[in-house]
Amino acid sequence: MAAILLIEDDPLVRRGFQLALSRHGHDVRTADTGEDGLRELRSSRPDLVVLDLMLPGIDGFEVCRRIRAAGEVPVIILTARGDDFDVVGGLEAGADDYVVKPAQPTVLDARIRAVLRRSAGPPDGVRVHRDLHIDTTSLTVSLRGAPVTLTPTELRLLLTLSRAPGRVFTRQQLLEEVWEHDYLGDSRLVDNGVQRLRAKIETSPASPEFVQTVRGFGYRFGPG
Amino acid sequence: MKPIWPVIAALLLAGCGVQPSGVTDGGKAPSGVAPGVTLYFVDARGELRPQLRRTGHLGTISEAMSLLLWGPGDSGLRTQITSNKTTPQVVVATAPGVIQLMVPLSIHEVTPLGIDQIVCTALGVHVQGGGSRSTKVQVRFTLHTPESDKKRACPVIR
Amino acid sequence: MTERSEGTDRQGTRRLWPRGLRARLVVAFVLVTVLGAAAAAWSSAGSASSALVTSTQQRLTETIAGQIGAITPQLTYPPDQVALDRLRAAVGAETLVTYQNLRSSDGTAAGLVTDALRTAVRTKHRLVTQRIIADGRPWLLVGTPVTITAPNGARTPSGIEVYSVRDLSGVEQQIEGLARSAAGTAALALPLAVVLALLAAGSVLRPVRELRDTARRLAAGDLDARSPPQGADELAELTVTVNEMAESVQASMAAMQRMQADARRFAADVSHELRTPLSTLTAVVEVLATTTGGMEADARESARMAITETHRLVRLVDDLMEVSRFDAGTAQLRVEEVEVTRAVRDCLRARGWLDRVELVAPQEVSLRLDRRRLDVIVANLVGNALRHGEPPVRVRVSASSEQVRVEVTDSGPGLPEHVSPHVFDRFYKADAARTRTPGSGLGLAIALENARLHDGDLTAGNADGGGARFVLCLPRELEDR
Repeated sequence: MAAILLIEDDPLVRRGFQLALSRHGHDVRTADTGEDGLRELRSSRPDLVVLDLMLPGIDGFEVCRRIRAAGEVPVIILTARGDDFDVVGGLEAGADDYVVKPAQPTVLDARIRAVLRRSAGPPDGVRVHRDLHIDTTSLTVSLRGAPVTLTPTELRLLLTLSRAPGRVFTRQQLLEEVWEHDYLGDSRLVDNGVQRLRAKIETSPASPEFVQTVRGFGYRFGPG
Repeated sequence: MKPIWPVIAALLLAGCGVQPSGVTDGGKAPSGVAPGVTLYFVDARGELRPQLRRTGHLGTISEAMSLLLWGPGDSGLRTQITSNKTTPQVVVATAPGVIQLMVPLSIHEVTPLGIDQIVCTALGVHVQGGGSRSTKVQVRFTLHTPESDKKRACPVIR
Repeated sequence: MTERSEGTDRQGTRRLWPRGLRARLVVAFVLVTVLGAAAAAWSSAGSASSALVTSTQQRLTETIAGQIGAITPQLTYPPDQVALDRLRAAVGAETLVTYQNLRSSDGTAAGLVTDALRTAVRTKHRLVTQRIIADGRPWLLVGTPVTITAPNGARTPSGIEVYSVRDLSGVEQQIEGLARSAAGTAALALPLAVVLALLAAGSVLRPVRELRDTARRLAAGDLDARSPPQGADELAELTVTVNEMAESVQASMAAMQRMQADARRFAADVSHELRTPLSTLTAVVEVLATTTGGMEADARESARMAITETHRLVRLVDDLMEVSRFDAGTAQLRVEEVEVTRAVRDCLRARGWLDRVELVAPQEVSLRLDRRRLDVIVANLVGNALRHGEPPVRVRVSASSEQVRVEVTDSGPGLPEHVSPHVFDRFYKADAARTRTPGSGLGLAIALENARLHDGDLTAGNADGGGARFVLCLPRELEDR
């Protein structure tokens, strides 16, 4: 049901996933290099990008950075190793989630749908917290009047936290609510998401006023 | 370490005291007793002849000289020293290796044999008293003469 | 500084020899010095005192001989009592003079004259001396005959014998004084020797200490530690050798680290290579799975087999990757505060085992551990219990101040005795007939490694009422990795 751009260099893997994801109802376009992927991104404007990190030419991290720089389209990275280097690097390059190869297409599909769901949410009117305006209907955020562009993940995180200001969310809870991972989810996703959100809405990310860390427990939305 | 110091001290003190010994030689026995003094006179042939004058003890060289100068007495021996019936005094001085006799005579009052008498008598007393046989005798006469300086030995005491 | 201790050697006798190197050096040095000083003092005091005795003896003897020789020309010979008295008086006190039957004596000491002395006087015709100790004091006995020297030089004994006794106490006191001062000087050597010994020991031990410090730093992991060699003696050679050893160890460590890095890269590369075809297989196998409806029976069966085996391959590859990470030492522990009871329950729920497994656990047990690895262990143990054992399967969580225990027991036949020690071996299959388990054969091996990664342990045995029991122990104190 979504327009997906799959960037994967191995032809069999690419074709396999194209077949599988199509069976799940998605419209899958493919690219076999980073450059082709970026070109395809500009021309076809997919809803989500599934990006393999091991690419010839420009490497996956650089591609991710460029995709992030180009817009808010969500990215799910495919990593063969699943180690810190890939996961943290990918998240810092701007990915919203990751899946470890070999991944069952059902699992990948679940991730895709979860990420797409982040863009939606129950409307709750406009919430104002000091200089921060959150419009839950149009899903726009502005800080001191200037609009802030957030990826669906960042937006979903902000909405979840700000819906209950002062309430402490554990990483587990955020993983379930925002990323829809199960109890074995990777808490690095949460830390990375918080870091990115802070970079966009906090005046000084080092001493945040909105997204605050509660040591030993998790995060909460600051008093507004 | 401290216990060692008294042990060392004990060892030292024990080992270094005066140790008893066996009988050891101590040198020549002293000498000098004699029943009398031997004077040298001249016999009929003109040779020196010793005469024991029983004085009871050896006496000094000076005493021997006095007796010699007095004369041979009734012994039958003669003297070649001009006798002087007054008590002659001979001054005896000893120096290392030399006996100096100051005789109250002049060189003219003594013959060479007479000088030998004097020398032998003095040396004899010296030797009998424990002195060395190699000591020389100087006879110093009243009037200066080269004979006074001569260091003489006795022909019969060698 | 010094380590004095009483050691026991193999025969069990007690040794009072100090143990430290410095103490041994100092003691040896001081002993040698003090003994040397004592020996020198003793010998010098000894020779000085014997010289003293000799010279005193000589002086006394010469005095007596001189006194006799001076008076003898005056003595009448043969002597009468008066003469003997005169002779005796000339020699002094403590003297005995005899001539045939006449005697003249003064003082009681004359009684000390020994027969040996008398005999010597009579036979040798020379002056003789003897030292004796009487009444605790040393005495010098001098005996001499008085000889008659004939004009021609012949000597004959006159029959007069003179014996005189002189007290050597004064000499002895002098000697004792000498000995005391010698001993005192030797004793002075003691503190000096100690000081010098300490200096010498220090100069030897300083490089030894430096070497020891360097060795300690090397042992503690600082492979850059080196000692600068000083001088050209054996210690300097040792220092150079230690430096060379450190150099070679450092090189070996670097080589080993390179090998580890290579191994890690190899493991990573292998994993990637395997995963690419597996990714394709996984994807297309799922497509097959959703289309079995329109297939012939053979095709359907083939598709299903392909699906099953592909899933199995994926699990095997994942397990192999895990094991290779353990082997390379690159397994990372991602520690967070985990509520154990909840984690175990989540694990059971996710696999749909909650209704088949009894969970006995306290309300809340919090522990710092790797959540994913705990899940792997619990899933493996419970899966094994359900598969190879019989229900009811019970999972019991308990906690003490030192550790947290998770115990999984089943009610099946339990582990046979020959199986228990091998159950954690890789690819070990207890029952040869059971070759077609869905597991990879690495489950328990990985579970054990995961437990050990937490400084904990996993043990296998049988429960009291039959059935197998596996116990996971995780310590509460986990060092931050």
